[in-house]
This record gives sequence, C-alpha cells and structure tokens, in this order.
Amino acid sequence: MAEPVVRAERFAYSYPDGGGRSLHDLSLEIEPGTFTVLAGLSGSGKSTLLRALCGLVPHFHGGEASGELVVGGLDVREHGPGELAAICGTVFQEPETQVVMGGVRAELELPLEHRGEPPAALARAVEETALALGVGHLLERRTDTLSGGELQRVALAAAMVHGPELLLLDEPTSQLDPVAGDELVWLLRRLNEDWGTAVVVAEHRLERCLQAADRVIALVEGRVACDAPPGDYLAWASESMPALATPASRLFSLAGLPGRPASVKEARAGLREAGVALPERPAEPSPEAASRAWWRRDRRPPPALALRGVWLEIEDGPTVLRGLDLELRSGERVALMGRNGAGKSTLLRLAKGLDEPTRGRIERAGEVALLLHTPGDYLIHEHAVDDAGAAGVAAAGLAGREGANPRDLSGGERQRLALEVVLAAGPCAAVLLDEPTRGMDRAHKDGLAERIRDLAAGGAAVVVATHDTEFAASFADRVVLLGQGVVIGDGPPAEVLGGGRHFSTEVARVTGGAALLPEEAAQMLLAPEVLR
Amino acid sequence: MTLIPTYRSRPSALHAARAGVGAAFCCAFALAGALYRHPLILAGALGGIVVAGAAAGVGREVARSLKLALPFALLVAMVNALVYQGGETLLIRGGEFLGRRWDVTLEAAAEGMFMGLRIVVLITALGGLMSAAVDPDQLLKALRRVSYRSALTATLATRLVPVLARDAGRMGDARRCRPEPPGRLAVVRAALAGSLDRAVDVAAALEVRGYALAGRPGRGRRPWSRHDLRIAAAALAVTAVGIAGAAAGAGRVEAYPTLDLALGPAEIAIAAAFVALGAAPFAGRAARLGVQRG
Repeated sequence: MAEPVVRAERFAYSYPDGGGRSLHDLSLEIEPGTFTVLAGLSGSGKSTLLRALCGLVPHFHGGEASGELVVGGLDVREHGPGELAAICGTVFQEPETQVVMGGVRAELELPLEHRGEPPAALARAVEETALALGVGHLLERRTDTLSGGELQRVALAAAMVHGPELLLLDEPTSQLDPVAGDELVWLLRRLNEDWGTAVVVAEHRLERCLQAADRVIALVEGRVACDAPPGDYLAWASESMPALATPASRLFSLAGLPGRPASVKEARAGLREAGVALPERPAEPSPEAASRAWWRRDRRPPPALALRGVWLEIEDGPTVLRGLDLELRSGERVALMGRNGAGKSTLLRLAKGLDEPTRGRIERAGEVALLLHTPGDYLIHEHAVDDAGAAGVAAAGLAGREGANPRDLSGGERQRLALEVVLAAGPCAAVLLDEPTRGMDRAHKDGLAERIRDLAAGGAAVVVATHDTEFAASFADRVVLLGQGVVIGDGPPAEVLGGGRHFSTEVARVTGGAALLPEEAAQMLLAPEVLR
Repeated sequence: MTLIPTYRSRPSALHAARAGVGAAFCCAFALAGALYRHPLILAGALGGIVVAGAAAGVGREVARSLKLALPFALLVAMVNALVYQGGETLLIRGGEFLGRRWDVTLEAAAEGMFMGLRIVVLITALGGLMSAAVDPDQLLKALRRVSYRSALTATLATRLVPVLARDAGRMGDARRCRPEPPGRLAVVRAALAGSLDRAVDVAAALEVRGYALAGRPGRGRRPWSRHDLRIAAAALAVTAVGIAGAAAGAGRVEAYPTLDLALGPAEIAIAAAFVALGAAPFAGRAARLGVQRG
C-alpha cells in the first residue's frame, strides 16, 4: 500500500493569541489520489488544519504545535511552507489576495521560478497547466481584469503548475456563482482523477462537492468527529449534526426514507426505489392569470424603491445595466441572483446612491441602508460599542461584549454588528445586503434569515444579492434573476428557483422543482397520495 | 481610472520589445530630463515621449501622467520664484513678510519653470510611458536575476498597491453607507490597520508559492526580435545624443544674474533628434507587428 500523503498523530495546535486550542489530538491519514472534503461549522478548525498541512501553521502564524503531522514525508513542525510548497499547492478563499503578479503568465511562472526550474521546463509546465485548467486564453491577460471565477482558476493553476501531490483548498467556491462553483468542483475532480493529485477541500456548501468526494472528515471544535465516505458521513450528520447535512440528505431524513444520498442523481434514484411519485411542478401561469396578477400588483401601494430604465455604462468597460426596470414594495424579501458580473452589486450601489446611473431614474420612498459584502469595512473603531452604540450591540446579539474589538469577533458576529451600524438611523424604506452569507455556516445563515424576516415585518423592502440558492429559498418571497444587465427572471422562489438548472436548490433538482427546501419536500413526500 | 497608468498588452513595437529594452528606451528620455535644464531640449525630450506614447497606443496614459506632473511642476516653479531672490529683472515687487522681502524676478521664475519642465519629462517618461508600455512582471523578472529577494519584495509592494487602493475605496463606500459617517481620520486609521492584514494575506500567498526557497530564475535564451533591436537602437541613440550634447556643452542655461539661454544649431538639433528618435522605432514596415492573413 502506498505511503499516505498526510499522516497526523495526536497533532494539536494553538494560535499565539492564547485563545485556546484550535486543533486537538488530530489523528488521520490521507492516501495519495483521494478526494477529501473537510466539513465543519465556522471556527471548527478546517482552515487551521489546511494551514497546518501547507506549513503556514506554525511557521507563519506562530503558536504552539504538538504531536506529529507529516506531509509528503516532511514533518510540518520542522519544514516550513517553502519546502512543503514542493509537495502541496494551496488555494485560499479570497482570490484577490492570493494572486501575486500583475499578469497571468507571470503568476503561473512564479512558483517554478522559486524552484529554479530551467526556462524550457517552465514554459512547458505553464502551457500544459493553463490548457488543463482552462485558463490558456487568459495567459496574456492582466490579473486585475479577471472576474472572481477566472481569478480563482488562475490561483488554482498557480497552485498546480509544479505538479504537487496534494492540493489544499479553503472554501474555493464561496465567492463564486453557482455556475462557476460547479465548474471549479468538476475541475478539481478531473485533476484528482487524471493527475492523481490528492485533493483536500474545506467547504460549507457540501452539496456542491460531496458527489466528487471519496471521503469526508468532519471537524467539531478542532477534533475529528467523523471520518467516513460521503454516504456514511451523511448518516452521521443526520443523526448527530443536522447543520452539517446536505439538503437532499435532510430531505431523506425528514421523510424517513432509507439511505443518505450524496448527489442529486443518488437522491432521485432513492426516491424511485422508495416508490415515490412526486407531483408535477406547478405549470406556468396562463397569460390571463399573469395579467390579473400584474393588475393586482399595479394596485399595490407605491414602491419603497424603484429603478426605472436604469443604464450603467462604464467608460472603457462593459455596459453593466441596460435599461433595467425594477420595483420593490415594503415588506418584500427579495433575493437578487445572477452570475458574477451580472450587475447585482452595481444595482445595490445605485439604489443606495453610491454611484449614479448613466441614464434612468431611481426613486426612494425613504432611507436606504446598504451593507456591502465586507462587513469589516464598517467596523473602524477599537470597540464594538463605538461603531454600533449600546443598542446596536445588543440588537446584534452581542450584549455584554460592548468593549470587544470588532477584529476579534467571528465572521457571523461582525456581519450582525455591521448590519446594526447601517440600520442605526432608524426605520428604512429599503435594506440592501450584498453577499452576506459568504463563508457562513448554516446556523449563522438561519440567524440572518430570521433577521431579514424581522426587517421586512417592520416594513422595509429587503433585497439580498446572493449566490446561495438554498439561502435564497429560505428567506425570500420573491427572486429576481439578473443576466446581461437586465431582469431575466422575476417571481416567487418556487417559480424562479424551481425551474432553473444552475440557479435552483438541490432539493428542487431532486424533486423536479416540486419543492425547494427539505422541510417542504418532506411534507410533500409524507402525503399519502405521494407514496405509491 | 487611476492617475498612474497600468500596463496593458497592446499591439505596438514598444510593447512587443523585451521589458529591459523597453525600460531602457523610457529611461533614456528620463536621462535627458536629468541632464538638461534647457527648455527647448526638454521640450524635445517631452515631444519624443509623447510621440512614442501615441505610436505605442498609450497616448491617453501619457497625457494622464502629464496631468499628474503639471501641478508638481507648477509648484516647483512657484516655490523657486518666491523663495529665490536672485536675478535682476524684477517682475513683481512683494512686501515684507517673516522678516524678508518676497520679490519675484524673471530669472527665478524662469529657472523654476525649467526645473518644473524637468519634472514633467521625468514623470511622463517613467510614470507615463514606462508604466503603460513596459510589462512590470517581465521587468521584475529580469531584476530578479540580479537581486532575487529585492525584486520579489518590489513585486509584493506593487501587487499590494492596487489591493490597498481597492480596500480604501471600499472603506470609503462603507463610510458613505453609515447614517453618521465617521471622520476621515478614523477611516484612514482603520484602512492602515486593514492594510497590515492584507499584507499578511499576500505574504502567506507568497509563502505557499515557495517564496522561502528563493531560487534564482534561470536565464532563458530568447532571440532578439526586430522590435528589440529597433527599440534598443533608439534607446542607445537617445542616450548617446543626450550625453554627447551635454559633454559638448550644448544646452547651456545661465539663469542668474540675467537669463542667458544658448539657442543655436546644437540645441535645435538635439531637440529635433529626441522627437525623431521617439518616433523612429515605430516608423516603416519593420515596425509592423506581423503580416496580414490571406
């Protein structure tokens, strides 16, 4: 049997800030050529483990490590990230800060230059890697002109260009739209199969990558809580930690069906085996019904926020919005979706007044609050109370931590605090959130969905730009899909997310659009007429 | 749009030339700015830069750097005119302030303008033409063969600049989203603290790319293209004309006590040569980047 590429024996680690152990007595082995997913809630130690595997922990971050962690035959306590870089390639969550050079070709050449590769070998490795990872057409581009998805692929190519045995990825899809996210996961699977590279990927949205995985390691408070193939892992998660289960497996669990499917295909097969005949997806409304709905819509109160014929053309750049029309009413909970670059963030910035449209009109019935996608940007003081006030800190669920430095708060806590900062002026006509769930686990997403419902109940139109279809289905009563700078879909979640291919939930794909969320689908399955 | 232009690959002889040669071409004009104070010669060097920029398709970027340079040049001219009291031709009689007279003479004003013009030439050559037309990655790669870690540190610094600029822009937007925007000082302080985090992130990315190994890049045998040769020849010619003219005493400027500018055939020839040499690498069939298909 081949030597494991990773072998940990009672490995433990604490960061130098004295906040306790981040990893406890970790013992595991990872075989060459396997695809491993690291699962866990925020703060469970996934990122720390990845940083230990590439040598940043303890050499770069400091802190105390004990036990043994051997990667490719090198003990990480003795060998730093430079030496481990020959064995493992690493891709972090934020594409922007992991790309070092100004041009894509130079970015791919850099790791090989560090190793002193001769120019001919370097040129060949760059060409072959670029072609294999589908970035050949980007080689002459500047890195600051790439989209998030392109940048992430370039980072992956730079991590793979020297042919490492082990590839480590920390939430690589968290900033990507569903299309780019799926593409990246399939690319990883292909690298794993064709090149024999062992892949270890930390991910919150397990439904995206479990179908490609051979094995799942779940971490809970820095310890291995489960280490099993995807099906067994899902069985464990359904029993012990439902927050770490995928939507399809939750559906099976709630409906009392046997097995825990790791993919949509398995879930459909499971339903067939159980003799389940799901109802057809509701038909599109007839033109007469649609016309009546629009008549009713016209009789509603004036909009809280309206964009009328809005264009945004960037000098020397693309036209982002093309005559977009959109009305948002008080109390609506709207998920704004679309590919990276579809114009979601631009629309929110225009609605707030941060940018001016090239043409068109924006009408606001009152104050508009906007939380941009980096909550830390709103927290500029040393103490939470100085940023949000005592009432804001309490509303963020942080009562008693008024004196805490916002930098020391977790991602979810910072998000809640920043939201209170922008809401401090009092009731708003519209509350706009740009990608608030990046890197959030399910428990935090549920909390955010609850807050959104509260804000809407208070009379605000709440608009959330998101790539997360599951989250959109959980809070929204309307989904607006943008494409090419115009609205290409607008309706209730069941209609927009139920009929899509990429922009649909896992449960919708399993049930053919009959339901979006596990709870809803389980209720449907438990109806007597559904089981044959 | 940023004030300092960023490199974009374009179909021009200057972009097609190797980075070291392109940089030498731009530096040759900067050298002219460093060697001379004569306004006609400096105008010739500026003309060469503008012509080269336009021919390389980066005329707008060069114009932008000119806009950036002009306020500096005006500031230098004004400060010199106010502070230096030499010269016999009084233009403005100022009063007494802080225990000294504040007269402005024609000579001091002219000298200030000559110094300002030098700054304009230096900024447009390096901050305009070179930034827009020479690939920084290739240039730093060439430098890495000389001093690996210094060049890589420079790479890191150049990479951080746009990242931090975007961070600062985002924090400015977040400030505008707050019901009661905080003072700019608080935002700047937070941006500085955030920049440390960013620097750590980029440093971590460098570490996992094997920065600590720091091997010296291999020297590739890349054949010299006709663009390399033509740009290098122009760079050499600009440097030779500049040094030879200065050694021969051309471009003499005496500002004090009265303004005395040499304005003979040598000055005119040098200025004309700079303009012509700025255009030379882009002229003729050989400057075309390739053949038309079919």
